[in-house]
Amino acid sequence: MTAYYLQLIVNGIIAGSIYAMFAVGLTMVYGVFKFINFSHGELITWGAYLGLMFTSPPFSLPLYQAAVPALAITVALGLAQDWFIYRPLRQSNPVSLLIASIGLSYLMRNAIRLFWGSDFQTFNLPVARGLSFGGIYITIPQLFMVTAAVVFLTILYLLFTRTLLGKSLRAASDNMELADIMGINMTRVTVTVWVLASVFAGTGGILLAMDTNMDPMMGMSSLIKAFAAVLLGGAGNVWGALVGGLFIGIAENVSVAFISPGYKDFISFALIFILLLFRPTGIFGIKGGVR
Amino acid sequence: MGRITGSAIGILFVFWASAVFAGTISVGAVTPLTGKLAVYGEGFQQAMLLAAEEINAAGGINGDTLEIVFEDNNSTSKGSVSAIRKLITIDKLSVVFGPAASSNFLAICPIAQKNKTILIGAESAAADITKCGSYVFRVFPSDLLQGIGVSELTTALGYKEVVLTYVNNDWGVGLAEVFKEKFTASGGKIIDELAHAEGKTDYRSEIFRIKRHNPKAVVNLTYIKEGATILKQAYETGLDVQWLMGSAAKSPKLVTLAGKATEGIIGTYPTFSQDSPVLQAFKAAWEKKYPGKKTPIFGEYNYDMVKLAALALKDAGSADADGVKASLMKVSQGYMGTTGDKSFDEKGDVGATYGRWTVKDGAITDYR
Repeated sequence: MTAYYLQLIVNGIIAGSIYAMFAVGLTMVYGVFKFINFSHGELITWGAYLGLMFTSPPFSLPLYQAAVPALAITVALGLAQDWFIYRPLRQSNPVSLLIASIGLSYLMRNAIRLFWGSDFQTFNLPVARGLSFGGIYITIPQLFMVTAAVVFLTILYLLFTRTLLGKSLRAASDNMELADIMGINMTRVTVTVWVLASVFAGTGGILLAMDTNMDPMMGMSSLIKAFAAVLLGGAGNVWGALVGGLFIGIAENVSVAFISPGYKDFISFALIFILLLFRPTGIFGIKGGVR
Repeated sequence: MGRITGSAIGILFVFWASAVFAGTISVGAVTPLTGKLAVYGEGFQQAMLLAAEEINAAGGINGDTLEIVFEDNNSTSKGSVSAIRKLITIDKLSVVFGPAASSNFLAICPIAQKNKTILIGAESAAADITKCGSYVFRVFPSDLLQGIGVSELTTALGYKEVVLTYVNNDWGVGLAEVFKEKFTASGGKIIDELAHAEGKTDYRSEIFRIKRHNPKAVVNLTYIKEGATILKQAYETGLDVQWLMGSAAKSPKLVTLAGKATEGIIGTYPTFSQDSPVLQAFKAAWEKKYPGKKTPIFGEYNYDMVKLAALALKDAGSADADGVKASLMKVSQGYMGTTGDKSFDEKGDVGATYGRWTVKDGAITDYR
């Protein structure tokens, strides 16, 4: 019985670490540019599908090699999103940016359908038994997921706290105009934000697809969890998003011990409502945490 | 546009002609001739035309020629609605053959019911179609019967206690209800039942909950994608049970996706005798009319549908919907088509026989 609950918690941590990776990217973009990027989900999907493209003929690379060009193109897509769509709209009101990102999300999702079809796809990794630790099962892709999340978020932490670039990023997210006036190179900040967000999304997408499979809607459904995590941590708060992601992963996985698993997604939506009603600035508030 | 108008005028002319020159009885068909189901639609149409040709060669409907008016629905619900509206209001037809895909069929069945037009389906399995009304029939077995089929399979294999999981939509919930009723009535016990959401990529929580009960067998009423994900993740997490499934997951794609995790699962699927004389005759006639072409998917059902409708029209002696409806009930009793017994019950549904499938050495085969 204890093993059962422990397993649920472990699953929650695994799911949560992926939500956290998505949420961190989403909240960084929000922090600096002050809009919710709906097409963030499509970067997740594109990461996975590009991985598929490079593992299939004519490339036929092993997955760990395929991940490199796949992520590079995902980053290029992220930068292109900003350069062609969001940059020209930067001075307009946030609603225009929001609508533009919704439009872009549809465009990118349907482009996937156009190239790869609506049907789900897999990397065709062999089906294997997971590793068992005293009755608690973890699969190899899941280990990768947690490891990737830990590595990436550690790098992010070091970047934010130990480098000038990280500090300028935080400054820009505090007040973009003021940071600009103070001589912080905004192009560098912009590029960094999009590169980080795209790498996190693309990597997460590939890992999710490794663990299960991919379909054009995968980004959209993960994005909803990421939204909930962002709100939980307070929009713009990177560490809040991390904690939020983990919290949602654990909450929804443990919930299945009490409610029918068919309604698991209900947890993240319920959290969104409760937070918006009672604590719109997130559990940590906007002041707390490292920004 | 010119071509469309041209063909519309052409079709109108055909109607005018059929109305003016007596000796033709027309029935409508909403068929996916364009759109994503067009690959199947052509086969449906050919099977229906083959049946009509045979009927007319054998003297037609009491001397009148049977004619099927095809309306394309572009494989969509919207297209189906416009198509049936046209067939009912402009062509004034009292019998219409419905479209493939249960969602398209369900979109138009209220229209048929309201306008007192007989609607017959040959490919629609959704349980809800049973509730469409008295003017709606189908020669394809309802999914609900699968619930019974799986229950019989479970009992036959000697499993007294199972965990039940099903996809959380109308189809899955409906099937599960029927399974539960039948299984518990035959002395079975459901240890736990849980719905799983459609289209997810992670079902591990569901699997762990199943595992907690340590069951010998799990009844999983689901589709291909969900089925593959569940089987794969169950294997990864060391859940070794006998999986029992329906026909919606019966596809080579399931094996492609879940690999060795599918080995040994057992399921049911609707089938019909492959060596009945009627079916042999159909196959011979098909080969003669469309040499070298394989008989299409659901072709037999479409063929039976037209044959039954013709019998009813003959029996009724007119195209009056209420008369045909009563005749349809009457002539169907004991009628053996290419797909077996097509006796309509009071809801306009037919029975079914079920085959059993399993996965052996990576291929789907019959379970014996």
